[in-house]
Amino acid sequence: MIDKLVLERLIQEGVSEGADFCEIFLEDTHSNVLRVTGQEVTDTSSSNVYGAGVRLIQGNDEVYGYTNHVDEASLEQIVHNLKVSFDGPKMDAKPLGDSQPYDPQVKIPMASKTTTEKAEKLLPLTKIMADHDSRIVQSIASLMDMKQVIKVANSDGVYQEDERHYARVIMMAVAKDDTSMQQAYEGPGRSMGFEIFDELDVKTLAKETATSAITLLSAEDIESQVMPVILHNGFGGVIFHEACGHPLEATAIAKGLSPFVGKVGEKIGSDVVTAYDDGTVDNAWGRLSYDDEGRPTQNNLLIENGVLKGYLVDFRRGRMMGAKPTGSGRRQSYKFSPTSRMNSTFIAPGKDKVEAIIKDTKYGLFAKKMGGGSVQPATGEFNFAVQEGYMIEDGKLTRPVRGATLIGHGKDILFKIDRVADNLEFGQGMCGSISGSIPVDVGQPTIRVQSMTVGGAGGQK
Amino acid sequence: MSYEKWIKLGLEKGLEDLQIFATRNRSLKLTIYQGRIDQHVESDVESVTLRGIYGGKITSIKFENTNTDAIETMIDRLISNAKALTANEPAIIFEGSESYPEVKVESFDFTRVPIADKIQLAKDYEAGLLGQKFVKQVQSTTYQETENETTLINSKGLKLHRSNSFAYAYAIGVFEKDDDIKTAYDIKLVKDYSDFNLADMIQTTLEKGWAKLGGSSISSAQLPVVFSNEKFGELLATFTTIFSGESAYRNLSPLKDKVNEAIAIEGLSIIDDPLHPDAYFQIPFDDEGVATAPMNLVDKGVFKGFMHDLKTASIFKEAPNGHSFSGRISTTNMYVQPSNVGFDELIQPIENGIYITELAGLHAGVKAVSGDFSLQAGGFKIENGNVTTPVKMIVLSGNFFKLLNGITGIGSDLKFGLNNVGSPSVFVSSLSIGGDDSKAS
Repeated sequence: MIDKLVLERLIQEGVSEGADFCEIFLEDTHSNVLRVTGQEVTDTSSSNVYGAGVRLIQGNDEVYGYTNHVDEASLEQIVHNLKVSFDGPKMDAKPLGDSQPYDPQVKIPMASKTTTEKAEKLLPLTKIMADHDSRIVQSIASLMDMKQVIKVANSDGVYQEDERHYARVIMMAVAKDDTSMQQAYEGPGRSMGFEIFDELDVKTLAKETATSAITLLSAEDIESQVMPVILHNGFGGVIFHEACGHPLEATAIAKGLSPFVGKVGEKIGSDVVTAYDDGTVDNAWGRLSYDDEGRPTQNNLLIENGVLKGYLVDFRRGRMMGAKPTGSGRRQSYKFSPTSRMNSTFIAPGKDKVEAIIKDTKYGLFAKKMGGGSVQPATGEFNFAVQEGYMIEDGKLTRPVRGATLIGHGKDILFKIDRVADNLEFGQGMCGSISGSIPVDVGQPTIRVQSMTVGGAGGQK
Repeated sequence: MSYEKWIKLGLEKGLEDLQIFATRNRSLKLTIYQGRIDQHVESDVESVTLRGIYGGKITSIKFENTNTDAIETMIDRLISNAKALTANEPAIIFEGSESYPEVKVESFDFTRVPIADKIQLAKDYEAGLLGQKFVKQVQSTTYQETENETTLINSKGLKLHRSNSFAYAYAIGVFEKDDDIKTAYDIKLVKDYSDFNLADMIQTTLEKGWAKLGGSSISSAQLPVVFSNEKFGELLATFTTIFSGESAYRNLSPLKDKVNEAIAIEGLSIIDDPLHPDAYFQIPFDDEGVATAPMNLVDKGVFKGFMHDLKTASIFKEAPNGHSFSGRISTTNMYVQPSNVGFDELIQPIENGIYITELAGLHAGVKAVSGDFSLQAGGFKIENGNVTTPVKMIVLSGNFFKLLNGITGIGSDLKFGLNNVGSPSVFVSSLSIGGDDSKAS
């Protein structure tokens, strides 16, 4: 990549005509997708994202440029193109400091393994799924691995390198009988190398994926109704991610486009709700040593016993809001200017037991596995899909149901959480927003929401 | 280094055949917020996808570092990836189609328009919305222009080139009435800068926002549903994989073994037309260099066949039909054939139903394999043949394959979306609506 002295010169050039902040972000990312379908290796593709992004800011105004031509002349051209947007006195950029040590969180780098060695770890998984039941008509296991090497330097003297390693194993099973075809999947991911296959019990997950697809064959479509919903731990945390996480990002707050604007110190949820966004969880999918603005990540308390404690803030929106950045500046790649994003977001564990919560629920839905969802931060309206669910009748799980989608308002939902179990787990996903698609964890223990609108296709004559 | 030299290098390294698919994308994006520039992004990025055959196996690698030493590494990685493939599947680099359809060259040079004009356009757009009835604020106003160039060259001697340029603008208005907040926008895409009509754009955005305000939920029920043209197009777009030859080959499409069988009402035809004049883009060849052509996917309710790339065409022993894009099989301009029934006539028989104009969570609430969908929705009541009060926060659920047989009427108002899927309004006899009694009016 580009030499430090050259970066220092380019940054000084960036703040020479009115901009009061200049940042250069360099990236070289290599990723591989390996897919096993049945007992054959069917896809081995690779990709490389390589380029540089330059950002100039004056006050709150920002210009950004990016290119895959990472050489001094090309970057100089971008700086020149961008700086004409501003007019003002020359500023002195601070000399670039030393890059601080970072922890790549990897024991066995993926690059040390051949594609065939990786495939050998996937072949048993599809076999487990296929052998589970004769109604499994297709089983697919994929490995996605990525190594992202970045360098960020700015006119405040920040100079930081970072190396991130990601590994994700995705399993899908398709089941078919005379009346329907159903799919189930699992996609655990970590900031790790090849050791993911030792540290995660992927074989058990493969078995569960196949079981889930078979269960869905006999599940009935759920009937639309308003009822209590118990959201199981792990990926169930997508509810908090959509309903509250996004509206707590400075991206929404700085423009006043969130139900939580101006609510710090106020009660926004029930007493049992405490929530964090943590960028420092070891080996977590959403973990970073440093964010994409070169700041160390941290554990941010968002809500404590129902009271709003803070937002997720990036550098520029921090300026707009008069708030300190929280190590939350993230971007998919050099093709995006960073903004405030989540890392590993979760509702903190309580003292309740899952069994007790189910037992105390006379009638409702147990959402064992969640699919994805979305939110419109300005209105707070969110939706998310249930991948595997069961009806609760008289405190017991009874029949499996499918096709449920839950909807609600972010500002109401936190008040409706009345039980929180002690079994915190994380689930992994890709989160999309204005700075692109990034790996995040969602997490929670099992929780109960007193009432939600549940939609489904059941009950049709 | 020229692409020809890369091909020579690949062949020297032992590839049996290879193809270079290179794109260059230049863009400008401006967003305005409260009269100031919120984002100003300029970009120029080249990306190369190398596709090669080694030991009879084909795979691909996409990269942005086009330095000479990096190319060698990429070719080496391609070879090691090909070696790991075990599936015995057709591996083809294409010698070219006999002829290619002619498409109108869209080469308006948006960079000729001064940037100050574009900033002013976005500022005027925002200003035109602010101060209007119920407009609380404008979340952002965006102007974006893009120029794409695509070059395809391979060791079979094929050389193809296509390019296009376009720009679009939209403003996300935040509308508020009695504590009810809604956002609305309408994207205007043009091939010539002078086609931006600000007055129309402002009016359309306002009308979309005003229409959403003041709604309430309804009680759960099974009701007749009319999808707006845009929303049926969005729903259909989430099911395009069922028409993919790859999905069929991998046992992932319920339409496998259903070629030439009725899968929908007789009045439904779904066509994929890469050259449709009303679509945003006309595409003469796919990413493997195969000439495109219009194709009936569903003809009068009968499923006519799968979309293919070179591999699946060979497996199904059919001619390739030009549907390989970005490494997978996808549609070009797919649309539902419109009728001559106007919208008022379409909804006239409905005593009590719902007109759907909003769908959310399409990436999560749709299962393409089973056909099940369950989506956050909004729209309007239809009462005695008329669109009446707004409805919000409902869940619309059903099964797409059942829906295809439950279509009662198709409108005439064909509209293509920016997802390149088009549809007229579609009337479905009954779908499940989930709502909240306590919030129903």
